[in-house]
Amino acid sequence: MSKDSKMRATINQKLTEMGERERLKELLRAKLTECGWRDQLKANCKDVIKEKGLEHVTVEDLVVEITPKGRVLVPDSVKKELLQRIRAFLAQHAT
Amino acid sequence: MVFRPNEKTYVYVSNTGCPHVNGFKVDNWKQNLRVIYQCFVWSGSAETRKRKAKSCVCHMCGAHLNRLHSCLYCVFFGCFTKKHIHEHAKNKRHNLAIDLLYGGIYCFVCQDYIYDKDMEQIAKEEQRKAWKLQGVGEKYSSWEPTKRELELLRHNPKRRKMTTNCTIGLRGLINLGNTCFMNCIVQALTHTPLLRDFFLSDRHKCEMQSNSCLVCEMSQLFQEFYSGHRSPHIPFRLLHLVWTHARHLAGYEQQDAHEFLIAALDVLHRHCKGDDNGKKANNPNNCNCIIDQIFTGGLQSDVTCQVCHGVSTTIDPFWDISLDLPGSSTPFWPLSPGGDGSTLNGESHLSGATTLTDCLRRFTRPEHLGSGAKIKCSGCHSYQESTKQLTMKKLPIVACFHLKRFEHSAKLRRKIITYVSFPLELDMTPFMASSKENRMNGQYQQSVDVFNDNKYSLFAVVNHQGTLESGHYTTFIRQHMDQWFKCDDAIITKASNKDVLDSEG
Repeated sequence: MSKDSKMRATINQKLTEMGERERLKELLRAKLTECGWRDQLKANCKDVIKEKGLEHVTVEDLVVEITPKGRVLVPDSVKKELLQRIRAFLAQHAT
Repeated sequence: MVFRPNEKTYVYVSNTGCPHVNGFKVDNWKQNLRVIYQCFVWSGSAETRKRKAKSCVCHMCGAHLNRLHSCLYCVFFGCFTKKHIHEHAKNKRHNLAIDLLYGGIYCFVCQDYIYDKDMEQIAKEEQRKAWKLQGVGEKYSSWEPTKRELELLRHNPKRRKMTTNCTIGLRGLINLGNTCFMNCIVQALTHTPLLRDFFLSDRHKCEMQSNSCLVCEMSQLFQEFYSGHRSPHIPFRLLHLVWTHARHLAGYEQQDAHEFLIAALDVLHRHCKGDDNGKKANNPNNCNCIIDQIFTGGLQSDVTCQVCHGVSTTIDPFWDISLDLPGSSTPFWPLSPGGDGSTLNGESHLSGATTLTDCLRRFTRPEHLGSGAKIKCSGCHSYQESTKQLTMKKLPIVACFHLKRFEHSAKLRRKIITYVSFPLELDMTPFMASSKENRMNGQYQQSVDVFNDNKYSLFAVVNHQGTLESGHYTTFIRQHMDQWFKCDDAIITKASNKDVLDSEG
């Protein structure tokens, strides 16, 4: 594993252990709902389902179609805030 | 098996999800599944979290991202995105896996996530358990209709669709003779989202014997408002009930809208408990009715002895904050230090115009009680001069601010028409008891908790035009994110942000 992914894994471990990962998830969920991101993507999902047909659409279809859009549409302010939170957490719990 | 009624909206998956789970559902499968959920999906305790942190990585590439899945038949974790779990499934012929992020069950034969009723049940239960362990309590989960509700939906096929521009919920109210004081408050209440949701989901279970329950009448009122009828509603039953339960508001003369608001909240709060009033009626601290859940806040009063500096604190519940205005006979003292300046909340400060924040600052300033009002200090055991300060201990979900424009002192009765500017978004942080403590302890940076931030959005403004003797009430209410409407008894008109903010308030 590269140094980068090793660091990622370590950070993830720490975040999970201390329960911070769950808290961050909740924060993210709230922020993305607040700014309308969730509703927008929900509408996009409905479009995909209509296109593929309710009978035949799979979760994978949705993942493939929606993931890139979802990533792009996350507002910079939300990214910034979460980054700040993570930094603050790491600073507090540096070993 | 798929059932499709003629409305093309509902599809029901069969009870067993897919036939391939039958190979899994043997022996002690339920307990095994629970353990997987507890340890690797929704780790509630510190112990399981630690284990999850260490072990939940892909057995093939070590990554923890990439939609990690766990095999249901053996201990194997693999990436979904990189198809590592697919390889495992093929090699070992283990055809079921669970998504460690969301708990969904994937069948490699069907090549899709499947929804097995029994497994879903276990998943839900384990998730609730984990939430409890984390101290989160009950979280939002989407509505799933019960059998009875499905029946009702099938028998009543008419549906109402909410678009971004729909004006459902807007309805005029006929003035029954100076009843605009009631109409204006009713408009504000019927557009309070939490109240609306409570009544439209039929949450009131009436325990009152007679027909005089105000909560039932409110429920009816919501039905009328959201019925889609455009003609103005005639609230004669509501008026009659108000006269019955709040005698001081009876009669055809002009009444005070704020008094009506408080009286209405009071009666609704009492009727929420039905006949089981007893002690709960007069003790808002113990009540959990919808009115208290939405409107009740806690006001902290600190009395500090000037001699020993001992502080005696009391907390009283409140439904609204009544604010004095400059120009009243109670002097508008200079503002206390520690305020964040006139640009807080983005209010306009045109050449000294008073803002709502000014009024709040004045409300929460330390007030010297003077030698004529000495308090018995439990520290000094004698009467001493003291200062008193009010701050917000607990904020209500819906905050009502009342500007005391009507002056009824011994000398004069008049209306103060000073313009007070108010913002669309209000941050109550500077007025919180905790902020005051932080200031005293030298902390200026407060970490903002995303769920308990002290910010409010304006959604209703009640205005009074005219004089004390003869005047008229109207209300601005907000629908959706930014659409304002002016409610003038039976007439509803569209309004702009500017109209609202320029109004007297």
